Amino acid sequence: MGAQEKSPSSNNSMQRVKVYRLSDDGKWDDQGTGHVSVDYLERTEELGLFVIDEEDNETLLLHRISSDDIYRKQDDTIISWRDPEYATELALSFQETCGCNYIWDSICNVQRNLHFNTLSSDTYHNVNSELRELPPVELSTLPLILKIVVESGISDQLRVTDLILHDPDFIRKLLDLFRICEDLENIDGLHMIYKIVRGIILLNSTPIFEKLFGDDHIMDIIGSLEYDPDGPHINHRKFLKEHVVFKEAMTIKDPLVLSKIHQTYRVGYLKDVVLPRVVDDATAASLTAIIHSNNAIVVSLLKDDSTFIQELFARLRSTTSAESKKDLVLFLHEFCTLSKSLQMVQQLRLYRDLVNEGILDIIADILQSEDKKLVLTGTDILILLLNQDPNLLRSYVTRQEGIPLFGLLVKGMLTDFGDDMHCQFLEILRNLLDSYASGSQRESIVDIFYERHLGQLVDAITSSCPGHSTSPTVSKFGKSDGESGNQSSVRPEILLNICDLLCFCVLHHPYRIKCNFLLNNVIDKVLLLTRRREKYLVVAAVRFIRTLISRNDEHLVNHIVKNDLLRPVVLAFVDNGSRYNLLNSAVLELFEYIRKENLKILLKYLIESYWEQLVKFDFLPSICSLKVKYEQSLESGGLRSSVNVSDPRKRIDERALEKEEEDYFNEDSDEEDSASASVPRTNKGHSRSTLPNGSASASASASASDYPSIRSGGLVDYDDDDDDDEFNPPPREHLDKSAEDDEEIAESFRLKRKLASKEEPEPKKLRRLPKPSKPNEGVFAALCSTLSQAILPGKKTSSITADVPRKNSNTVNQTEANQKEVGPVSSSNREGSSSSIDVEGNNARKEVSPGQKIKDKESNLHDLPENIQEHESDENPLIHKASPEMAVNGS
Amino acid sequence: MSSDLDRQIEQLKRCEPLKESEVKSLCLKAMEILVEESNVQRVDAPVTICGDIHGQFYDMKELFRVGGDCPKTNYLFLGDFVDRGFYSVETFLLLLALKVRYPDRITLIRGNHESRQITQVYGFYDECLRKYGSVNVWRYCTDIFDYLSLSALIENKIFSVHGGLSPAISTLDQIRTIDRKQEVPHDGAMCDLLWSDPEEIVEGWGLSPRGAGFLFGSSVVTPFNHTNNIDYICRAHQLVMEGYKWMFNNQIVTVWSAPNYCYRCGNVAAILELDENLNKEFRVFEAAPQEARGAPAKKPPPDYFL
Repeated sequence: MGAQEKSPSSNNSMQRVKVYRLSDDGKWDDQGTGHVSVDYLERTEELGLFVIDEEDNETLLLHRISSDDIYRKQDDTIISWRDPEYATELALSFQETCGCNYIWDSICNVQRNLHFNTLSSDTYHNVNSELRELPPVELSTLPLILKIVVESGISDQLRVTDLILHDPDFIRKLLDLFRICEDLENIDGLHMIYKIVRGIILLNSTPIFEKLFGDDHIMDIIGSLEYDPDGPHINHRKFLKEHVVFKEAMTIKDPLVLSKIHQTYRVGYLKDVVLPRVVDDATAASLTAIIHSNNAIVVSLLKDDSTFIQELFARLRSTTSAESKKDLVLFLHEFCTLSKSLQMVQQLRLYRDLVNEGILDIIADILQSEDKKLVLTGTDILILLLNQDPNLLRSYVTRQEGIPLFGLLVKGMLTDFGDDMHCQFLEILRNLLDSYASGSQRESIVDIFYERHLGQLVDAITSSCPGHSTSPTVSKFGKSDGESGNQSSVRPEILLNICDLLCFCVLHHPYRIKCNFLLNNVIDKVLLLTRRREKYLVVAAVRFIRTLISRNDEHLVNHIVKNDLLRPVVLAFVDNGSRYNLLNSAVLELFEYIRKENLKILLKYLIESYWEQLVKFDFLPSICSLKVKYEQSLESGGLRSSVNVSDPRKRIDERALEKEEEDYFNEDSDEEDSASASVPRTNKGHSRSTLPNGSASASASASASDYPSIRSGGLVDYDDDDDDDEFNPPPREHLDKSAEDDEEIAESFRLKRKLASKEEPEPKKLRRLPKPSKPNEGVFAALCSTLSQAILPGKKTSSITADVPRKNSNTVNQTEANQKEVGPVSSSNREGSSSSIDVEGNNARKEVSPGQKIKDKESNLHDLPENIQEHESDENPLIHKASPEMAVNGS
Repeated sequence: MSSDLDRQIEQLKRCEPLKESEVKSLCLKAMEILVEESNVQRVDAPVTICGDIHGQFYDMKELFRVGGDCPKTNYLFLGDFVDRGFYSVETFLLLLALKVRYPDRITLIRGNHESRQITQVYGFYDECLRKYGSVNVWRYCTDIFDYLSLSALIENKIFSVHGGLSPAISTLDQIRTIDRKQEVPHDGAMCDLLWSDPEEIVEGWGLSPRGAGFLFGSSVVTPFNHTNNIDYICRAHQLVMEGYKWMFNNQIVTVWSAPNYCYRCGNVAAILELDENLNKEFRVFEAAPQEARGAPAKKPPPDYFL
């Protein structure tokens, strides 16, 4: 989700390139990504390639276009050359073919001109020198001017630009003539002037734009552009003069600021309304740049006026008139929106200042407004702030004065905004709860959320779903619409948002949800959504349980089995009948997942409890093979839980577990060594579960020692009375019992937390580092016991290998790991380095690990072409960026 | 209610975007309809198949002029409704409104541009931000994208998909077990269906220069069509200057419905009309003439503070 918030740069994708440079050791080094243009080198008449970094606007590359034949174009997206100045090969990899073609043509053009120049520079200049000055601006000369402006080649255009700039009166005279023609209704003249003005704009010269868009000319320019001979006449000036209202919520005294504000609006109007299908991409980009820089000027002038913000906030606090308050809030919103045009550092500083001046208190106030639209504007401001620096909001909500705001956000998510969109709340909460966030407040935020707010969200579900009060044992097959009678009025889309947020929590706080969900029967309650009439809510509930199962956590799996939590899913599936819809696919996908990942406990539970219902569907290959898989497991006798899998559906950045949280639990396992005496160990829940490679971990960790050792060749007897009545859910007392168990588990978690926090005031991370290898083994084994089949490496590799299983290894790298295990411990250098790369990839959490990606592909696809390596270069497969490496080699 | 919807459809046909609140209720209704569709949505003939539109609203109106209006003609759109053109919002909302109004007369399946990631780069995100001042509409629309079906099967004989085949899919049954309600993944069957391209010179499977999906040759298509007992595959995803293009001895056809793509490629567009006996007729059309294009609808808000 993070990527989605990065507001994409407004520049056009045509110019977007990656710059590569061939390093001494023959590798293509990525120099950065930016936008390429062909322009004059400063203070010369030579043309060059410029690449401006899209992030910091620094010049990434400056290359004088050479007349020598050094350029190569490859694969339609790459231009490479040997650069005399850099003394190495450079390459531009274009995002788009047409961008590449455009620049290629420009280079060829420049080269042609250069050749022409050197051949007969006199003649060449003579051609140009005819253009020593522009003709006087008169009705009779308009055709000539049009010809000069529109029909000149690339180098002539620059001369035309120069001439227009050096003639101080040219534009004024042209516009005078325009007004005359308009008075005289001289349509031919007006059409010609339209074409001339359009031609001048397409010269795409910033100094000319400055003239055109000055206060005294811009309305006439817009006027002249009303006379498109190929389009209807639209009276833009009338709209601008009569309909557009400049609202001065705050009085702005600085005339420069005022003038820029008006100019920005008009340039924006010109670009979006008057000219959209006239301007080329480069010109549109220039117009956008003007708007941006204007915005930046306006915002920085206002913010530098020290009293301005204070006055704004003071008025926001004091005003009582709803109307003026609304204007002030809208003003603040626009101010924050425009601040996006500031440089990054300035933006950060601005928001910090705003927070210091109390913007968050003000937003909390706005969120309590009666006017729901205003509330939503408040959340929009918050999102702008979050996009800049989430830590500002994070640290605020963990402070005493910020607690109400957090509550308001949760409340907002549950509020019915009628027809208005209010997805902002979900987004803000997600951002706050994002486990990849840095910053010390993260844990406290998560604490606050789970302690104070999760319940609210879950209650919203239970209160809106039918039949919560009825015991699941008597709930009948199918559901009728009549049951929805006792639903409260939480809108379905709100329930959908809650379910989304809970899925997000499962992925981001795998350990927290474990104790919280088990303790509060959250899963049960969320699954009530399967009784809703809206099929998308039923599917959302299925997705929720699917997300839980993909955590591959034994406690959760056992909890699911014990509490018969797949029942509602199966019922919904059966109830759906043979309809092939999203619900059908989602449930089948869940079953496929259980089968493919060989989650034996679930497999056994599912088949033994529900085969009678599912058998109706055995015409579906997925259902059929589920049974086959079950029978195979029975035969092989190894119906042990195997929770060592990666979930291909998980987003890459979710593959890596949340480190700190995980550390915390690792520490807990350590903690138990010493604390086991004081912690009551009555977790029968644990004892019913079986362990992968039980013996290894049982000896290694105190928590694991409570598990029974592997049962020889048996199915798990998770409960005796379950076996006879297959599809009836477990009897009531059993439910209670297991609930008790769960509570015990959760209780012990809670105790652990407390113990941990008492005995360990130090940041948890610190402890991990100096640890000698032996205790590490315990951590590692504990990890294995909850995470995966124990792949216990030799002690020697402790620090690195301890991280290895954390990557939810898929089958391929499992075998790798196994091979490593078999092989001599003193592995070759190559192996060693590859494992360290693995670890690195693992640490780069949000990055797509290329290795991972390839392995995933490989496991899907055995007859993959050999050149799979090339795939590694695609950081983002969805944006086409070929690596020059591959292209250059390929050529 | 349907009169409301009819009014909205009329408004959208004039290329005027809906209000945020209207978009919201439209999306919620669409969600209820789309969730009932299957990953391989069955479509009856006669039907008219359309390829990429890419926000070229006026060209889509031209398409409807050539192919007939929606409830009268049964349509199947193969995805890529948004991005690149100037009117992604109006284009997608019109198609979605038609879907809600006439669920059985128009089928929309997902293209690779119906994705959060892609739309942030190629225009739809920016357009929503510009036209509505916030990205809420983008959020709602991209949520709807997740519900769109992945492919269609016309009279059991013509398999239609946006991109192409996947090495993970050899039978249509295998598509059934995809939980499609998710962002288009970076790999796997769902990704491939939306991203892959047929390629003459490839034997079997090849690496796609797009960085997602695969290239596949005739040696993949022949067994696929045979196994699934289909006549041919109909897909979009690639610009073809003539509007449509057969490959691999008429086993797969590309249909492209964005004339003068990006307003500068100079290509013609096509739609494929199938009658009740699945007889084919390609209708080729050009970009809408300039006069047909009204004033661009994106007026900035008339009030401004800064």
